[in-house]
Amino acid sequence: MTQFVLAVVLGLLFALGTFLVLRKDLVRVVWGLTIMSQTANVYLVTMGGLTGGVPIISGHGGQGTEVTDPLVQALVLTAIVIGFGTTAFALGLSYRVYQTNETIDLTEVRG
Amino acid sequence: MTTDHDTTVIARTVARVVFPIIVVTAIALLLQGHNLPGGGFIAGTLTAAAVGLVYVIYGLDHLEQELLGRPPSVPFTDEAGITREYGSLVTTGLALAAGGGAVAILFGDAFLTQAVWFFEHVPVYGEFEVASALAFDLGVYAVVVGALLTILAVVGAE
Amino acid sequence: MQPTAGIILAVVALPFLGAAAVPLLYRVIGERTAYFAAAVAAACFALIATQFGAEGAISVRWIPALDVSLSLYVDGLALLIGFLASGVGVLIFTYSGGYMHNEPGKPRYYATLLAFMGAMLGIAFAADLIALFVFWELTSVASFILIGHYRDESGQYAARKSMFVTVSGGLFMLIGFLLLHWVALDVASVESAFRLAGEGSMLASADAMQTALREQGLLVPVLLLIGIGAAAKSAQVPLHIWLPDAMEAPTPVSAFLHSATMVKAGVYLVGRMRPLLVTDEWVLLFALLGLVTMTITAMLAVTASDIKELLAYSTASHLGLIVAGYGIASSADAHIGLLGAETGAFHVLNHALFKATLFLVAGIIAHEAGTRAIEELGGLSDDLPLTAGITVVAALGMAGVPPFNGFYSKEFLFDATYELAAHDGGLWWLLPVVAVFGSIFTFLYSIRFLMLFFGEKPEELGHVHEPPWSMRGPPLLLAVGAGIVGLGGITATAGFHLPIEEFVGRIVESSLPAGEEAHFSYHIPTTLSPPVLMSGVTVAVGAVAYPFYDGIRDGLRAVRDLGPLRPNWYYNGATALMDTNEIGPQIHNGLLRTYALWFLGGTSALALAGYVAATVSIPTFSGLTVTIPLGIVLVVAIIGAAAVTGAPSHVAGVLTLSILGFMVAIFYILADAPDLALTQLVIETLVLVIFLLVIDKLPAFYGGSKRWMLVRDGAASLAVGTTVMVTVLLSTARTPGVPSYLDHSLKSFFIERAPPPPEHGSFIIDSGGGHNIVNVILVDFRAFDTLGEISVVAMAALSIVTLIAMQQRGEI
Repeated sequence: MTQFVLAVVLGLLFALGTFLVLRKDLVRVVWGLTIMSQTANVYLVTMGGLTGGVPIISGHGGQGTEVTDPLVQALVLTAIVIGFGTTAFALGLSYRVYQTNETIDLTEVRG
Repeated sequence: MTTDHDTTVIARTVARVVFPIIVVTAIALLLQGHNLPGGGFIAGTLTAAAVGLVYVIYGLDHLEQELLGRPPSVPFTDEAGITREYGSLVTTGLALAAGGGAVAILFGDAFLTQAVWFFEHVPVYGEFEVASALAFDLGVYAVVVGALLTILAVVGAE
Repeated sequence: MQPTAGIILAVVALPFLGAAAVPLLYRVIGERTAYFAAAVAAACFALIATQFGAEGAISVRWIPALDVSLSLYVDGLALLIGFLASGVGVLIFTYSGGYMHNEPGKPRYYATLLAFMGAMLGIAFAADLIALFVFWELTSVASFILIGHYRDESGQYAARKSMFVTVSGGLFMLIGFLLLHWVALDVASVESAFRLAGEGSMLASADAMQTALREQGLLVPVLLLIGIGAAAKSAQVPLHIWLPDAMEAPTPVSAFLHSATMVKAGVYLVGRMRPLLVTDEWVLLFALLGLVTMTITAMLAVTASDIKELLAYSTASHLGLIVAGYGIASSADAHIGLLGAETGAFHVLNHALFKATLFLVAGIIAHEAGTRAIEELGGLSDDLPLTAGITVVAALGMAGVPPFNGFYSKEFLFDATYELAAHDGGLWWLLPVVAVFGSIFTFLYSIRFLMLFFGEKPEELGHVHEPPWSMRGPPLLLAVGAGIVGLGGITATAGFHLPIEEFVGRIVESSLPAGEEAHFSYHIPTTLSPPVLMSGVTVAVGAVAYPFYDGIRDGLRAVRDLGPLRPNWYYNGATALMDTNEIGPQIHNGLLRTYALWFLGGTSALALAGYVAATVSIPTFSGLTVTIPLGIVLVVAIIGAAAVTGAPSHVAGVLTLSILGFMVAIFYILADAPDLALTQLVIETLVLVIFLLVIDKLPAFYGGSKRWMLVRDGAASLAVGTTVMVTVLLSTARTPGVPSYLDHSLKSFFIERAPPPPEHGSFIIDSGGGHNIVNVILVDFRAFDTLGEISVVAMAALSIVTLIAMQQRGEI
C-alpha cells in the first residue's frame, strides 16, 4: 500500500516545515512555509488516488481507460502558481523587515 | 542584480539561443493546452522564466535598453517604466478573462460559459476546433506573465 | 394589502447604494452631498409611503438549492420604524448640510449615516432572526464610527464604550435567537425555524412556541438574553452608560441615532417579540426594567450640566417608559395588555417627534451660542424666537403637559400601571407610584430645558444669531408634527378623529397576540379618573418643586458621585484592569513563534479531537510497499527537506530547498500529472532565482538555538507531523461519495463531459470540447474559480509592488 509510505513522508515533511517555521531566522521561516505549501500540494494530489492514467482522453466522453482525478490536479495547478506569489511576498516582507529593523532575528523585531 | 556584467560569454550566448526556443515552446503549450498538457498557467510561468533568464544574464536594464531601444526607467518613479507595462499586462489579462466570460451573458448563458466551434474540411488540418476558452486561457497567460515579471522586476531592482 | 417585494427591497438597498456613491459624489458636488443624502432618504420615505396599509411577508429566493431566502415583513410597527428612519433621515441630512459646514471628514460622515439608515430600515423590515441580527450589529458599527467622528481622546473613549456595550448586548441577543431557533425546530407549525414574522413563522404560532419554550425550560433564559440585547441597545439601566458619552458625536447624529432611531431598535425588538414571549415573567422583567430606567435616568437628567447630556439621559428615561409600556400585560385581563401596547407604540412615535426636535434645537444653541453648558445659557427667546416656539411645543410634550403629544402616551402608561395594580394588588402598587415619581423628574428637567429660552440672559452670552434655514426647517417640521399629534387629542375630544389614530392602531396590533384588534383612540380626558389624577399630581408637584431645582440637582449629584453606585465605576474599573494585567502580553508577545505554535498546535489538537469524537478507524497497516522510482523520489525529498533544516548557510539552504522542489515535480510525473510537473519545474526555477536575489541582500544570520528550544520545537513539529500523517491515512482511504444533486461522482462528471461528445455539430456549448480534462476544468467548468485565482496572483504582485516600491518613494 503506497498510502502508508506517503502518509509517513508527508508527515515528516510537514514536521520539518513546522520546525523551520518555529526558528528565529526569518529566511528559515519562509523556507518552512515553502515546504509546507509543497507538502500540501502533494497531499492533494495523493488524495486524487495514484492509480489510473494521465487525465487526457484521446477519444470521446465516457470512453477510455480509468484516469486519475482531474479536479485535484486543477486545484494544485493554480495552487503552485499562487504558492510562488506567496513565497515572493514573504520574501519581500522579509526584506522590508530587514530594512526597517536592520535584523532578521525574529526575537529582536518583536513589536 | 542591477547590471551584472560579470556573466560569461557562454552564458550570454546560450541565453540568446535559448530565449526564443523557450518562448516558442510556451506559446505552443498555450495553444495546445485544451487537448494536450499545457495551458495558460504553464505557458505563463515558462514565459516569465524566459524573461527571468534574460534578467539574470544581461541585467534588468538590458531589456529596455537593447530590445525596446529606450533609456532604462528608474524603478518606482512616476514615469512609465517596464513595471507599469507589466501592470497593464495584468489588467488586460483580467479584463480579457472576465470580459470573455461576460460575452456569454449576452447570449443568455451564465457568466463564463464557454463554447466550442468545429470547422470541418479545413485544408491541411482536416477538422479544426476553436474554443472560446482560449480567450480565457489567454487572459490567464497574460495575468501570470505580468504578475510574475512584476515580482521579478521589483525584487530584482532592489 | 400585500406588500410589494421590489419596493421593500429597494427601500433597504437604496441607502447602501447611496452610501457607496458618496465618496465619488463628494468630489463632484462637495457640500451638497447632504442634499443628495436627503434625496435618498426622501426616496425611501416615498417608497415606504406606497406600502402604507400593507401587511405580510415577502421573500426573495437567494440560494434556491439550499432553500435560503431573504425574507422581509411589513406591518404597522415595521412601517413606523421605516418612516422614522427615512423621514427623520431627510430632516437630519438637510440639517447636516448647515451644521457640518466647517467640519472635517464629511464624505465618511454622509456615507456612514446613509449606511446606518439602510441598516435601520433593514431592522425594521427584517423577517428572520439572522437578517435582524446582522442589521442590528451594522447599526452598532455605524454608531461607533459616527461617535468617534472627531477622533479625539474623549470621542474614542465614547465610541469604544458604545461599541462594547451594544455589540456585546447584541451577542447575548444572538444566543437568545439561536435558542429560539432550536426550540422552533421542534414546533410543527413553524416551517422555517429562523423566520420571525410572516406565514409559518414563530410569531404566527406564538402559542405553540411559548408552550415549547416553557417545556424546555428555556423561556426565562431567552427572555433574559433578548432583554439584555434590547437593554444594551436602548440604554436601559444599568447598560445606559454609553448613551451620555455618545453625545461626543456631531449633534445631527445624536438626534438621529441616539434619540429617534438606533436606540429605538431595542424597544422595537421588545415590541416585536411581545406577542411571542409575553408571560408573567415578561411583565416582571420589562415593566420593572422600564420603570426603574425611567426614574433613575430622569433623576440623572436633572443632574446634567450640559444640554446634550440632559437630552441623552432623558432619552434613556423615555425609552424606559416605552419598555415599561410594552412590558405591562396580564394573562387575566387582555385590556391591560392592550393599554401597555398602546403606551409603547404611541410613545415610540411621540418621543421620536419631540426628542429629535430638541436635539436639533440643542445643535442650534451649541452652534450659535458657542456653549452647551446649562449654567451659561438663558433668555435665548429674544434672539431665537422661532427656535423658542419650537422648543415650547417639544419640551412641554416631553414634560407630559396637556395638550402636548407626550401627555397622551404618558396617560396610557399611568392607566396601564394603575389597572395592573388594581387587578393584581400587592407589590404591584409600586408601579403607578414609581411611574408618577419618575415623571416628576421628567417634568423638572423638561421645564429646565425650556427655561434656556426664557428668564434672564447671562451677560457674557452676547448676541446669538439665527441659524440658516437648513437648520431651522427640520426642527420646525418635527415640532409641527408633534403639535399635530397633540391637536389630534383635542379634535378627538370634539368628535373628529385624525388618521393618526388609525396608524397608531396598526402599530399597536403588531405587539398584540395574533387576531386581537386595537381600536386606538386618544383624547383629552373629560372625567376624573385615576390616571388623570396621577398626571395632575405629576404636574403639580413638579411645578411646586421647580423653584428648588438647583437644590434638588445638587442633592442628586452628591448621590450620583458615590463610586459604587455608578455603573461607569465598574466599567472603567474593569477596562483598566484589562489594560494592566499580565495575561495580555503573555498571549500577545509579538513573537511569530508563539503564534505559529498556538495556531499549528491548536489546529492539530482540534483535528485529532475530531477524529476521536467521530471514532474513525485507521486503515489496517499493510506494509511499506512502494514502486522503486516513487521510493527514490520520496527518500530524496526527505533528505532534501532535512538538509534545508540543517543548512549551514542561507545559500546552501535555498539550493537544497530546490532539491525538494524538483523531487515534487518528479512525483507529479509519477502521479500522472504532466501539467503539474511542467508548472512545478518552471516555478521551482523562479523560486530559486527570487530566493537568491533576496538572500543576497540579507545578512548571513544563523541564530543558534538553545538545546531545550530545539527539543521543544522538535516535539511540537513531530506532533504536527503525526496529525498530518493520520489525516493523510484517513482521507486517502476513502473516496468521496456522490453528492445528492448529481447522479454520478464529480470525477466521472468531468471525465464524461470534458471531451467533445461522439456526435456533435459544428457548435457545442454544454460540454468542454477539450481532451485535457485538467485544462478544461480550469478554463470552462471551474472558470469562475480560476478567475478568482488569477486575481490572487495579480494581488500578490500588487502587494509586492506596494511593499517595496512605495517604500522606495517614501510613501509608507
